Amino acid sequence: MAVTGKSRFAPSTVLINIGVAALIAFSILPLIWTAYTSVRPELEIIKFPAGLMFGDLGFDAYREVLRYTDFPLLLGNSVIVSLMTMVMSLTLGTFAGYALSRANFGGKQGILLFYMLVRVIPGVLLLIPIYILMQKLNLLDTKFGLALAYTTFTLPAAIWLMKGFFDALPVDLENAARIDGCSRMGAMWRIVLPLVRPGMAATGTLVAIEAWNDVLFALMITSTNEARTWPVGMKLLIGEFQLPWAQLTATAMMSVIPVLIAFGLAGRKMVAGLTAGGVKE
Amino acid sequence: MSKVGRKVGYAERRANPLARFLNVLEGKAFAWVLLIPSLALVTLFIVYPLYRGLRLSLSELKLLKSPDAKFIGLENFRKLLADPEVGNAAINTLVYLGVGLITQIALGMAAALLLSRESKFIWAARIAVMLPFFMPPVVTAYMWRFMLDAQYGIITLLVAPLGIDIGGQGIWADPDKALYGVLFVELWRSYPFFTLFILAGIQGIPAELRESTAIDGASSFQHFRYVMLPLLKPVLFVSTILEAIKLINSPTLVLLMTEGGPGDSTMVVPLLAFKEAYQAFDFGYASAISVAVLIGISGFAMVYIRSVGFGKEK
Repeated sequence: MAVTGKSRFAPSTVLINIGVAALIAFSILPLIWTAYTSVRPELEIIKFPAGLMFGDLGFDAYREVLRYTDFPLLLGNSVIVSLMTMVMSLTLGTFAGYALSRANFGGKQGILLFYMLVRVIPGVLLLIPIYILMQKLNLLDTKFGLALAYTTFTLPAAIWLMKGFFDALPVDLENAARIDGCSRMGAMWRIVLPLVRPGMAATGTLVAIEAWNDVLFALMITSTNEARTWPVGMKLLIGEFQLPWAQLTATAMMSVIPVLIAFGLAGRKMVAGLTAGGVKE
Repeated sequence: MSKVGRKVGYAERRANPLARFLNVLEGKAFAWVLLIPSLALVTLFIVYPLYRGLRLSLSELKLLKSPDAKFIGLENFRKLLADPEVGNAAINTLVYLGVGLITQIALGMAAALLLSRESKFIWAARIAVMLPFFMPPVVTAYMWRFMLDAQYGIITLLVAPLGIDIGGQGIWADPDKALYGVLFVELWRSYPFFTLFILAGIQGIPAELRESTAIDGASSFQHFRYVMLPLLKPVLFVSTILEAIKLINSPTLVLLMTEGGPGDSTMVVPLLAFKEAYQAFDFGYASAISVAVLIGISGFAMVYIRSVGFGKEK
């Protein structure tokens, strides 16, 4: 019985390594193939679909998308909406998460449960009333309106995540600060927030990615280039012009690069935060 | 010492209104001041719309006919029960839910077991496996449509020599295959969700347990079946219910990949509601369909919680 202390489940190291390699390939090969297609000449994609030729690769497709479509403008809209969502959701989520982690009051469990249940409601059911509400508030087809909607929908997750990160910090830190004459607000601002910064980065990244990726609400709430985000643009581009493969994949690559960078920077912490709540209970 | 320090601060803070406000924060009000902004926003954009949505489901509101809602009681639900499109969509949704959950849990579990081994660069592998979960659905959808294209798709060409023919009219134009095509893409992007949860669960199980079951002569499979699986039950329970809600609720992937077609072979219930709202502007009927989805989810959750017997163990 050779069971090493390190592994919890180990029939054979070689088999496991092969399995892990297969998983990685399954996850990232599609993306690599998409990236490769985006730099191939259109003619080659159609003539030799499975060909591996590295002779005349180039960024023509990218240039065409950037020059002849509204896509750059829509990417800009998405950046603004995602940043607005991140700032609002993270601010409110940090405050609420701190209160739910530290304070003790009647109804606390109720509020936590409420934020859980809110996620069960079908988005489609809320879509129409939110459309009507936005119309009344004059927020239809505005970036701020879209960001407000995303803030609301990401808020429950942001609160749960931030609560988890605060829970992981010992309360003694604040108690010590308060004994030294710090106010509650001061203790939170000066002592706790700096310590929880990695958690805030992870939560903010997650929220921004949600806003960046959404297509359903953007389809409904936006109608012109004023607030339209890139996923809507890509859907319309493909529907209207029957985009050539090279341009389609180039568009995909341009919109996925920010996600890859954000995920690369904050991925580890994000993954850790996401599971903390679900596993403890 | 500490008491004196706090009293001085207290007296100082009484001096001006701002200080008085900060003073209030020292009590129970502190928590509420921090909570109220988020509660207000969620009330305005979720609770109130939910109420309006429930009311709309009992009303007639067709934007193309008139901008005013008219109360018609359960008329929309009567229409819904007799609508063959809804019946078809309900069956597709059940297939989507059932096949989706089983394939994702199976692959998610296998991946979690593989990735639970500790080694130096395992975190990089874990990040790579999680990536599809965070990809934009639009990119995921068109990427796979391209790779599974009947003429130019790399996968279509690669599996052809193995005797698997997905060329010809292709997956996306074949009413018998399209839903499973979407389900495959759903598996690709959603199984990491289970891996994420199960992996965290496995890491919570002490490694020494395997050593002691090994001494007792248990095989790896027996260890998995009789030690790990029971310990992972709570994690599996939570993640299954969250993923089920997502699978029932979100029409995104189907909308992007097939829009319900060919014919109505991939039409799922939330997509039907979305189309009634977004294309026909029949807000009343669309709301009624969405309410039916909500009822369905609540029903599923209750049956599931009962059958698993969760919470009754103690």
